[in-house]
Amino acid sequence: MSERILSKRFDLADSHTIGVYEATGGYATARRVLQELTPAQVTDEVKKSNLRGRGGAGFPTGLKWSFIPKDTDRPVYLCVNADESEPGTFKDRHIMEKDPHLLLEGIIISAFAIGCHQAYIYIRGEYIPQIRRLRAAIQEAYGRGCLGRRVFGSGFDLEVAVYTGAGAYICGEETALLESLEGKKGYPRLKPPFPAVVGLYGCPTIINNVETLANVPAILEKGGDWYAAVGAHRSGGTRLFGVSGHVIRPGVYERPMGYSLKQLIFEDAGGILDGRALKAVIPGGSSVPVLRADEIDIALDFESVATAGSMLGSAGVIVMHDGTCMVRALQRLIHFYKDESCGQCSPCREGTGWLLKIINRIIRGDGRPEDVAVMRDVAEGILGNTICPLGDAAAMPVISFVTKFRDEFEHYIRHKRSAVPAPVK
Amino acid sequence: MDKFTVTINGHTIEAKPGQSVLQTALDNGIHIPHYCFHPGLPVAGNCRMCLVEIEGVPKLQIACGTTVRDGMVVWSNNDRVRQAVRHVLEFLLINHPVDCPVCDQAGECGLQDYYMLVGRYDSRFAENKVVKHKKATPIGRWVMLDQERCILCSRCVRFTREITKTNEMAIFNRGDHAEIDVFPGGELRNRYSANIVDICPVGALTCRDFRFRCRVWYLKQAPSICPGCARGCNIAIHFNPERPHHAGGRRVLRFKPRPNPHVNAFWLCDDGRYSYPFIDDHRLRFAALREEGGVRQLYLKDALDRLADWLRASRSGRTAYLLSADSSNEELFAARKLLRDALGVRCLLPDTGLRTGDADDFLICEDKHPNTRGARILFGLGENDPVAPDRLEAGLGAELPELLLVNRADLPSPLRDKLLAAGTRLVFLGTNDNATAAAAHLVVPLVVFAEQAGTFTNFEGRVQKFELAVPPLGDAAPEWSVHQGLAERLGIDLAFPGPAAIFRQLTAEVDAFRGLSHESLTPHGAMIRHE
Amino acid sequence: MELSDQLKQTLDALKEQFPNGLSVLMPALHAVQAAHNHIPAELEQPLAAYLAIPAEIVHEVSTFYFMFNNRPVGRHHIYICGNLSCWLRGAETLRDHLADRLGIQPGETTADGRITLSVVECLGMCDHAPVMLLDGEFHPDLTVETVDRILAGLS
Repeated sequence: MSERILSKRFDLADSHTIGVYEATGGYATARRVLQELTPAQVTDEVKKSNLRGRGGAGFPTGLKWSFIPKDTDRPVYLCVNADESEPGTFKDRHIMEKDPHLLLEGIIISAFAIGCHQAYIYIRGEYIPQIRRLRAAIQEAYGRGCLGRRVFGSGFDLEVAVYTGAGAYICGEETALLESLEGKKGYPRLKPPFPAVVGLYGCPTIINNVETLANVPAILEKGGDWYAAVGAHRSGGTRLFGVSGHVIRPGVYERPMGYSLKQLIFEDAGGILDGRALKAVIPGGSSVPVLRADEIDIALDFESVATAGSMLGSAGVIVMHDGTCMVRALQRLIHFYKDESCGQCSPCREGTGWLLKIINRIIRGDGRPEDVAVMRDVAEGILGNTICPLGDAAAMPVISFVTKFRDEFEHYIRHKRSAVPAPVK
Repeated sequence: MDKFTVTINGHTIEAKPGQSVLQTALDNGIHIPHYCFHPGLPVAGNCRMCLVEIEGVPKLQIACGTTVRDGMVVWSNNDRVRQAVRHVLEFLLINHPVDCPVCDQAGECGLQDYYMLVGRYDSRFAENKVVKHKKATPIGRWVMLDQERCILCSRCVRFTREITKTNEMAIFNRGDHAEIDVFPGGELRNRYSANIVDICPVGALTCRDFRFRCRVWYLKQAPSICPGCARGCNIAIHFNPERPHHAGGRRVLRFKPRPNPHVNAFWLCDDGRYSYPFIDDHRLRFAALREEGGVRQLYLKDALDRLADWLRASRSGRTAYLLSADSSNEELFAARKLLRDALGVRCLLPDTGLRTGDADDFLICEDKHPNTRGARILFGLGENDPVAPDRLEAGLGAELPELLLVNRADLPSPLRDKLLAAGTRLVFLGTNDNATAAAAHLVVPLVVFAEQAGTFTNFEGRVQKFELAVPPLGDAAPEWSVHQGLAERLGIDLAFPGPAAIFRQLTAEVDAFRGLSHESLTPHGAMIRHE
Repeated sequence: MELSDQLKQTLDALKEQFPNGLSVLMPALHAVQAAHNHIPAELEQPLAAYLAIPAEIVHEVSTFYFMFNNRPVGRHHIYICGNLSCWLRGAETLRDHLADRLGIQPGETTADGRITLSVVECLGMCDHAPVMLLDGEFHPDLTVETVDRILAGLS
């Protein structure tokens, strides 16, 4: 059995309660850290661990923390990105549902490291049961002195509040999240300045993903070197891989970085539904380039997936069998990015709408021979030219789908129907 | 280090640290296409038109949001950048109605301009356009909104948030259904509203006053100073000399602000902007003489003969002159030389333009004349000027004058009646008709500021130049030329050969103006000396 | 239309937690919607005044976020996921089934004002696809049969 850092309590009864958490060693690390370590020592340990952001971009966490200006006289904020909305991604939900105190312990240690006394958990508005659970956990933590004035009797104060989104994928982009937290539309900001310098309310701010922070207690408990060794290359630790789509056992699987994608799909998730053949896999949430069945013999760490021409992203693995019409599948994705484009910058606002209209027209049976080329060109006009990564996220699936499954698109245009016999609906 | 060197498209230029790549390029005559960037507003970076390649940076960057670094090498004209910018323009146009023939922005539209510069593609958009709610909908006294033409650059939003701080403009909804609008049921409620028309790069916000009066390519421009108040906002007068029939005979069709960082930045208030109709409406074009049996028109030279006779005949100390703070420094100086100094006429500045409480903390002044400061200096006016209407009679002296010259002002009617009953000869020198002109014994038509060159001194003491935009109407003349004519007739050795020469005289003779020259007034005016 | 005293109390409590009126806006809109079913247009001005922020910002925010309803919605609000992972497992069939059963198109509310049907983007429940969110609870691993059972249980 591989190492379980994040999911070790998932199967316990009442794992979300502070009683179970503490009985299984919870909060001991944070207590020790606050009493024995300096903030710089915590950051060093996290740097050593090769912990990289679990939201999708994979930025080294310790390095991010070190961008907070030293000796700032302004308050420092920690914003927890719980706006999990990337299609195919549901791992943070599991943590908040089943082990919310692990997240809180991670918040306590991380806030201590960056000198933050007010943390906000920005959670998507649709996660209503999870919001309730988080609030209850926070209340428990306050009740036991794990949060609030003089945390664990130390000299460290920390307030944690939950802030609820209201249905906008873009707010998972860290600067849009800050705007939303300030009460505005979720329009991503121009960078620089980066949030570590000018963030929430103009103050130094660190934004970390839920899963990222949930790793921090184990790093401080067992050491950065241990954590780095669990992973592969420069990707430390384990990941919560979320497998969905055409597999027999969809779910969250905690596996070390560098784990085999094939094994994940065919062993852990039980293989392909209905005994069908694998057709394609999106390995890191809907934004990353799709892989064909013959491209999935890869290791799941940031570097290896990149080498295969895709990205590990949020580790949301979407599996499609041979009954999937790739034109219709791409239409779902384009529909998503068009719906979720904030509308601030021109290429994404206009380009996603254009792409959707083309693919809708193809599916209606009014496709034109030039449509595939135009779609690709529109996507390339978006790629790299927008304020935030949503533009790239919309463009990459389009480019990879129309390139790798070009025949299917051309077939649909020519014959006004899918190349796949009896496609899934 | 206070100066950097950057290379843009192969040109190595000096740049100020902290400045954006775009501003640096524009300051050096290199045009990088842009819509959302405006030098008077915070950077938004949303239009993506100013994408440039910066050597050593993998992705294209927006020039407006990128700060120069020493040694930076920037390309805005290579194939990669051109391709990206063309994509952006294509994106901006797919949902645009391309209704240029019925769009009042035609001829000064950023979409048209950049289509020529970086577009030039055939449309590949085979889909239905997004339909937006408002077409040609007024959103205030002066501004018309067409949402479909909007490219969501947010300049108007930033203007009402950052400049007027009134917040009326906003972008509602998201994605490609995002649209600019005012709050439902609301409207623009600031006194600078038409600036959003100026800064709108497309035809989404047009001016209700100007719409469809004239195609902009028929317009010519002259740099000038707004005559609406004592601020002296820099403007361009837009006039249509060839086709006055397009606008009911009006030659001047609009004022647009001209940037001046010391005075008005990039902006102009609505009151000043829409004060322009007086240039063409209700003008006095010819001299008129009231005689037994009625009023007759006469040549200016004959009117001056008559006025010279009256000046000669009026006993010493019994002639008075009500000067105007709408006159240029040059006009005022000529009046001072002839009337005050040579003829000893009592000169007063009547208070006709003070609207107490009307000022704001931005551009609008209480004093609605452009040259009160100039009049004060040139006539050495003290605490008692301008003279309030109720004190005007006392100000004219112990006895009512025999001859009263009134420049532009409309006298309070009781005073006017009293003067006429007492046998005072009333001479009106002015630009526009009013009750005093109608009652005057003699009317001498003057040109408005737009029909001559000259200078005004704003309330802070900044002397600013304006140029002739349109020729005089009828026999109307600059006031200095009237005084020149009178001096000749009265045998007084004074010469006012033209505004430039008068300004030189003025700077030689009047301490406050000493050291100024037309050159020193370019481009942003210059301050008077404070004694 | 005015803010109720109860809403004002909620807003006052929120003001304590945040540094300025603007940052109270999102939670405030959630509270308004909880109290009024949607965000009544006539409440945007009073809310703006209470938070001392421009009404335009309130309207920007209320029209930006999908979960803020600018028009009345049904007593029950079905959010059915239509994104890829759910679609791969039959979400489209369920959507059509729901539309048929309710006699409305996605985005509409039944004539009796009972139920609103919205097709939404990924709900983060892909391991239980297809899924819907109904009145604050997730319903996982849906089939036509379970959907019918859920509909039957609605008041």
